[in-house]
Amino acid sequence: MQQKKGYVSFVLHAHLPFIHHPESDDYLEESWLYEAISETYIPLLINFQKLVDEGVNFRITMSMTPPLLSMLDNKLLQKKYINYLTKLIELSEKELKRTAGDARLNELSKYYYDRYSNDLHLFRDVFKCNLIEQFKHFQDIGVLEIITCGATHGYFPILYVNEKTVKAQIAVGVQTYERYFGRKPRGIWLPECGYVPEADKYLKEFGIDYIITESHGILYANPTPIYGTFAPIVSPEGVIAFGRDMESSRQVWSSINGYPGDFNYREFYRDIGYDADYDYIKPYIAHNGVRVHTGIKYYRITGKTEFKDYYNVQWAKDSAEKQAGHFLDSRTAQINSLAPYINNPPIILCPYDAELYGHWWYEGPYWLYILFKKIYYDDCNFELITPSEYIDKYPDMQVCSPCRSSWGANGYSEVWLNFTNDYAHKHLHVAGNRMVELANAFPNAEGNQKEALNQCARELLLAQSSDWLFIITNGTMVDYAKKRIKDHIGRFTKLYEQIKSNNIDLKFLKNIQEKDCIFPDIDYRIYK
Amino acid sequence: MPRKTKEAIEEKNEKEKLISKKKVTKSTTKTAAKTKKEAPTTKTAKAKKEAPTTKAVKTKKEASATKATKSKQSTAKKSTAKKVTKTTVASKKVSTKSTKVAPPTNVEYYDLPYKYNQTIVKVLYQNPTTLFVYWEISDADIENYRKTYGDNFFETTKPVLVVYNDTMHYHFEIDINDFANSWYFNINDSKCDYRVELVRRPISYNEKITSDYIHITSSNEIESPNDKILFSTDEPYIVYFRNTKTNNQRKVDLRKLLEELNLTNKKFGFPLIKSIYDLYKTIYHVDDIDKFSMDLNNPSSGNPSSHSLSSRFI
Repeated sequence: MQQKKGYVSFVLHAHLPFIHHPESDDYLEESWLYEAISETYIPLLINFQKLVDEGVNFRITMSMTPPLLSMLDNKLLQKKYINYLTKLIELSEKELKRTAGDARLNELSKYYYDRYSNDLHLFRDVFKCNLIEQFKHFQDIGVLEIITCGATHGYFPILYVNEKTVKAQIAVGVQTYERYFGRKPRGIWLPECGYVPEADKYLKEFGIDYIITESHGILYANPTPIYGTFAPIVSPEGVIAFGRDMESSRQVWSSINGYPGDFNYREFYRDIGYDADYDYIKPYIAHNGVRVHTGIKYYRITGKTEFKDYYNVQWAKDSAEKQAGHFLDSRTAQINSLAPYINNPPIILCPYDAELYGHWWYEGPYWLYILFKKIYYDDCNFELITPSEYIDKYPDMQVCSPCRSSWGANGYSEVWLNFTNDYAHKHLHVAGNRMVELANAFPNAEGNQKEALNQCARELLLAQSSDWLFIITNGTMVDYAKKRIKDHIGRFTKLYEQIKSNNIDLKFLKNIQEKDCIFPDIDYRIYK
Repeated sequence: MPRKTKEAIEEKNEKEKLISKKKVTKSTTKTAAKTKKEAPTTKTAKAKKEAPTTKAVKTKKEASATKATKSKQSTAKKSTAKKVTKTTVASKKVSTKSTKVAPPTNVEYYDLPYKYNQTIVKVLYQNPTTLFVYWEISDADIENYRKTYGDNFFETTKPVLVVYNDTMHYHFEIDINDFANSWYFNINDSKCDYRVELVRRPISYNEKITSDYIHITSSNEIESPNDKILFSTDEPYIVYFRNTKTNNQRKVDLRKLLEELNLTNKKFGFPLIKSIYDLYKTIYHVDDIDKFSMDLNNPSSGNPSSHSLSSRFI
């Protein structure tokens, strides 16, 4: 057996913006959650359990953001997810009949029928609709470390113009974590990995030990960290930063030769929502008749061609296994070449969007399962570790100030501040200042006034979600994102004026409390 | 294929109704922003603070300006009101017998205000070499400037951003215009503290203006991010290590640390490491460390599968 010379740490960032529309079933954006549950969260849970059942000692870290936790905990959304699955199973049944004449296709129809039926059984009957508890279980038995995130994924490098708003993002992120997991988080996934040193004092105040940064957050630090991204650094204020490894990132992420592009993998874009006859598929697409993804996809990537071959589940598994082997060999070689130069055993940090695994890269959760098994059973020179465990084992680290950075395009703020979305920042800053003004003007509010102030805090936080700015930049679903900024700023401003004039419209307040029901325990005084 | 909600489509229609109001601002801002200007770095700006007087003299021009503002607001309100009525009618089907239009319930429509009536200038960094500034002058201040310097104050002066690099102690100016309320501009030096002053500079004779500049307001201060590995310019020989459990901190002589490393690795025939520069070349397997330093863009950046939902869920 090879001697263990280093560590690999997987960090999956699970996040969706808070999308909750009790007023209508027409919001397609709500289905992002349902797709993520079926394609990412349930498959991850299934694979974690398989590993535990097989006696594989593994470690993984996941950030579960407060909006995602709030949605997973929401009874209405749970009910809607069951409806979503019920319709999918109904469609899968129809597909079994429709594809009866084609054996290969019919086999795939059966695969989807079984898969979605199993999802329903697991979610409703086994998990009792409580996915958070399932993830918590894996944390409690020590294989998963869950970390927190900013309250609504607000982007710190722009919000910090008013530091209190960054403080509130951190405070509510930590409080939400405690509410669901019964302990304090040790780590935080800074929204968009957006690091500013001004946030360090608040991270420390709320008990955060470590953050995850993009590679140049470490490499451009001051002074230059001796061991690069292969060892954490600690900021002068005491926040420990782990930097993303570039080599392993490229293997998974590269759009040219990254693992998810294997020709045997499922083709994301060929969905019967677009391919099937319109009248047939109409009951299963958007209410307004627009074709959308249904989740039933019959083709594999095949190649750089318009012609697509049918998906073959076994072939896809074979590819995942081959790639897991490649990843293992690559890390082994990397650690072998690194170890002589790093004082402590090097750590290779591999952070990814959780939803890459399963939703985008359908075979991703299986790849992780195989990889973890290989790491445990095969002869390799590293172990899996969580950042917390690494800190506890190797607390000695270089003192450096990480660089202001993000993991967005080009590494700074361009995704969240550009010609398409720059108009929003003035409004977000003004609302932030007004929230601080309210918190200072009404330090001891009670009753309806307190309710209104707490709702103001919710509206502000929801407006600050970095997702709206990203969507606007990305150019898809732009109207929805713009509307969300307008709605939350509008609701905030209306309440702000009502509170100041002591004329709170209780009907309005109740209405928006129902819609924007995130953070039931929030206390507006965090803005003082 | 982009998916649109009904609400989104409705909102789009509504937006078109309001376009006359919004288009002016948006297009001017964009045009202004697109014309990024290379800032001169030598010109000195004297930004004297001029206290606006409080004497109230209402002139015809002010009155008309106020009127214009009011009419602008009422246009916006009108559009909103129209929307509310329209929605009410749409959802009214059951109450057609009644002649009165029932007050709308739970109907919400918001637009972002054009102004907050505050006098501010804020600066943000977009990246290490581009800053973004937005600003606003309150109606009260506009009135005060007119009272102090005459009705034609805004016609006889032009807005200028004076950008201060407080780390390297220089400043430069950027000419902006009264049609814009935000601006992007390039800076030469990353990892420096910057702040901006919004001033007005006389462009034609105004007997009441005796200084080169009228100071309007000052921005927050920001640090532009670093954009390179610092070892080439800023490699200290003493670094600090901290035990994060005990908080004990110790000095480490970098040369000694590297010497020890070389001694340990010598027997394995590893190359000699003289600096962090050498160490990085070895652990990152790169020959051209400068190129490596400038090209750290991970493939997740800009990759369609790289980021949260909208790319993933479309």
